[in-house]
Amino acid sequence: MKRIGQLILNIKEYLILTVLIIFSLAFLFSNDNTQIRFLRAAAVGMFGTVQSGLSSIPNVFDLQQENKVLRETNIKLSNEVSNLKEAKLENIRLTKLLNFKETSGLGLVSANIVNKSLIQTRNTITLNVGENDSVFVNMSVITDAGLVGRIVSTSKNYSIAQILYNKDMRITVKSQRSRIDGIMTFDGVSSLSVINIQKNADVNVGDVFITSEYSNIYPSGVPVGIVVETGNLDNLFKKIIVMPLIDFASLENVFVVKYLPNKERYALEKTFQSGKK
Amino acid sequence: MNFKYGILRNIIVIVLLILIQKTFIKVFSVSALNISPDFVIIALVFIGAREGKITGSIYGFLTGLLADFLSGTFLGLSSLSYTIAAFLAGFFKSENEKFLTKYFFLVTVFACSFAGNFIYYWIYFQGTPITFPEVIIKYVLTTSAYTTIVSIIYVIFPRRKKIERSFLGEA
Repeated sequence: MKRIGQLILNIKEYLILTVLIIFSLAFLFSNDNTQIRFLRAAAVGMFGTVQSGLSSIPNVFDLQQENKVLRETNIKLSNEVSNLKEAKLENIRLTKLLNFKETSGLGLVSANIVNKSLIQTRNTITLNVGENDSVFVNMSVITDAGLVGRIVSTSKNYSIAQILYNKDMRITVKSQRSRIDGIMTFDGVSSLSVINIQKNADVNVGDVFITSEYSNIYPSGVPVGIVVETGNLDNLFKKIIVMPLIDFASLENVFVVKYLPNKERYALEKTFQSGKK
Repeated sequence: MNFKYGILRNIIVIVLLILIQKTFIKVFSVSALNISPDFVIIALVFIGAREGKITGSIYGFLTGLLADFLSGTFLGLSSLSYTIAAFLAGFFKSENEKFLTKYFFLVTVFACSFAGNFIYYWIYFQGTPITFPEVIIKYVLTTSAYTTIVSIIYVIFPRRKKIERSFLGEA
């Protein structure tokens, strides 16, 4: 205590000077003229610089806590971004489908694919609509891009559709440009081809095949595929390889066309075929 | 009694010098250079060098405050500069007080005046287009030099001993 008193006595001149300077500065800063505003700004700037310098000194405990919070936030944000991306894509997809539904002129039932098989010779998709939604066997399944397949089995709330990549699928098609008719089939391995087209027929790479009005199952004019390769199969017929307009791998939403084959026509053609045999 | 008388004398002299400074300064100003001497600081340097840092700084502070009140523009600025100038003068305090009447006193006046003027003008010209070197050369150096020249009067004044005694309140 005595030492402190001695110390204060030793520096009393400087203490008094400091007190007087503080008083002077207090008076000085009580002014409100340009110079003092400038000095205040400079003082604030200097104080800010010092604070900024001090704030760059890391606190290990704060950093650990901050890291933890940031990691959690990062995960939450990643999730949100993922959900938003998903929602955006779904929005685009559904908007396209909605536009198609409004403009197609066909009676359509929208459906989600709940299951699909793409690696077998008889590939199918399962839809979340069934007889309760007025979906029946032989109705066509389409999207805004083109033909997907046809319903082959139904229950009250579900249905199964054959897709183009199914060995049992045979679709009467015609070239949109040259109106040449043919039958589209799946070879059971990887490619779709249009058969029964004569060697001299006008079919080129890039031509689009659509469903023909000769078909009693599919509504006519629905795009099915695009020609990617042409050649000669034998002396009489062409070999035409077609790529479907639908990307089955990413397909999620479809429409079932409420269009059933004409029963009378179907029965007549079936009877005629039987008689011929 | 002598101590109180000395204080009273100091106060009277300082007040008179402030009044002269505020009223008749134009007579002594060099208007071409825009400079004028600071009579008050000479007295404060004398007090600081004669009586020490504490007394000098207290006189400086109160004198500056009075000058600021009388000028009514920039409260605190003169008190800050005079406090520091008079405090610095305390460093020149010596057992042998004869130096107060010698030419070395001029060096003391110049040094303390320079410090006081530096603080005064540096703050005074904040926020103006006048640069720091301009402040030093045009105002701080010239005013300090002029003040030092004026303080020569004290050193060469024939009756300086008498004035000295009266100034310090000595019997």
